[in-house]
Amino acid sequence: MELHIVGTNAITYPAMHVWDWRVASYLFLGGLCGGLMTMSAVNYIRPSSKQSADAVNAWKIPVLIPILLTIGLIFLNLDLERPFHAFWFYLAFKPVSPMSWGAWIVFIIYPLLIAYALAALPDDIRGKIKYPSIRNAAENLKPHLLKLAKANIIAGVLLAIYTGVLLSSLVARPLWSTPILPVLFLVSGMSTGAALMIILAKSKETKLFFTKIDVWLIIAELTILLLMFYGHYVGDAAHQQAIAPFFSTSHEFFPYFLSIVVLGTFLPLAVILKFLEVTGEHTEELTTSSLMMMNFSAVLVLVGGAVIRFALVYAGQLSGYSAYM
Amino acid sequence: MPRYVMVIDQSRCIGCMSCVVACKRENDVPEEHYRTRVVEMVRGEFPRLRTEMRSELCNHCDNPPCVHICPTGASHQEADGTVQIDRKKCVGCKACITACPYDVRYINPEHGYADKCSFCQHRLEEGKEPACVATCVGGSRMFGDLDDPNSHVSQLLRDHSSRTLKPEVGTKPHVYYINQFPRKS
Repeated sequence: MELHIVGTNAITYPAMHVWDWRVASYLFLGGLCGGLMTMSAVNYIRPSSKQSADAVNAWKIPVLIPILLTIGLIFLNLDLERPFHAFWFYLAFKPVSPMSWGAWIVFIIYPLLIAYALAALPDDIRGKIKYPSIRNAAENLKPHLLKLAKANIIAGVLLAIYTGVLLSSLVARPLWSTPILPVLFLVSGMSTGAALMIILAKSKETKLFFTKIDVWLIIAELTILLLMFYGHYVGDAAHQQAIAPFFSTSHEFFPYFLSIVVLGTFLPLAVILKFLEVTGEHTEELTTSSLMMMNFSAVLVLVGGAVIRFALVYAGQLSGYSAYM
Repeated sequence: MPRYVMVIDQSRCIGCMSCVVACKRENDVPEEHYRTRVVEMVRGEFPRLRTEMRSELCNHCDNPPCVHICPTGASHQEADGTVQIDRKKCVGCKACITACPYDVRYINPEHGYADKCSFCQHRLEEGKEPACVATCVGGSRMFGDLDDPNSHVSQLLRDHSSRTLKPEVGTKPHVYYINQFPRKS
């Protein structure tokens, strides 16, 4: 029996806590997959990559992408209150709903990712496939690898950007309600994709190629982050309050302050390390210390990308428009 | 087709919470969940204080962000202007809860669908007014058709300066507030 009538719902009072680590993880993995789709496609399309030593590892990335996306979607489904009703996503298309767009983008991307992964399989791996239908499909798709790679660039950009569009369309949450957020998620997704390419690539040439790309992506990411905070700072009271947790050292907001410290150190440090890698002299084979530095800077970028998603998902729910009038 | 709105005369609210209780009983709202609330705000500096009683509920916005974000069409707008939820279509993604600037939605803990005030749609179909309006002892909550120039709510909105909550969000609410503070005796 309910004896005390308070009138407020725990899900929204005193602060909203609707989405948690599951949604943040999906946003991170979605962005990472978008970045990987684009970067691995770039790896195939660029002229110097043909039959390079990296062909050994290059096929593993198209196979890895659907696995990562599936893990992300499992997290997202865990967040649904009625996961068995998820088929309703595909019985409707709502043109103004970014979530509806997202559901359909994932629906279209999956077959593309599978086709891309099959087409990328090298001959020896393809020969080991037990099921003839899959082996035949892989053989038939092999000549279309470049076309699929080109399609993956577009699909990767769509996947990375839509998660930002989803949050930025929520006008009730001032922290999210900024048109620069999708751009931040896109650049961050591409940057994390390049970082994972660096870790997974085998050849020095490929590692350095993606390191060069990542330097510019991280600089763009940092610039967009600064502009986003500046935009909120010069915005109305609700937007100013939305970024306050990031600059408060109080116990309550410490995780947000810590996220700014992490982003403010990890990403610039990654830029410096990558700049040293690109400009430094390298031997024919990378030394252990060079490899460690490359992987370390790539891990910094991946951590930065995850921190952006987690901090924004949680802090965005604290923001809102005051009812006081 | 009518265009339903609610007008809340704040000066007549005594904070008895009977609207909250009536809503819970009428709509079988789960324990510790609410479709409406009465916010009591004290303003000013002692000893010059004023108390505002403000009933809050779904604003049945003309430009509803919850409807725009809903990926399945579960949250939708009826021809009478009210925002309703088709429970069977709701997947419980909670996007509508984050989209609502008024924080009036919740998840039904037993069934997992998003829920909120429906202006007592089932009562409207029977020609009755919402339960909170019917039970309001101070006559603070009033309900009617804005398209009928002779309706009580139309007359009230013509005669009074009204406001809506969080107009800066651009949702164009269908819940109007008049007489923010009690009249001085």
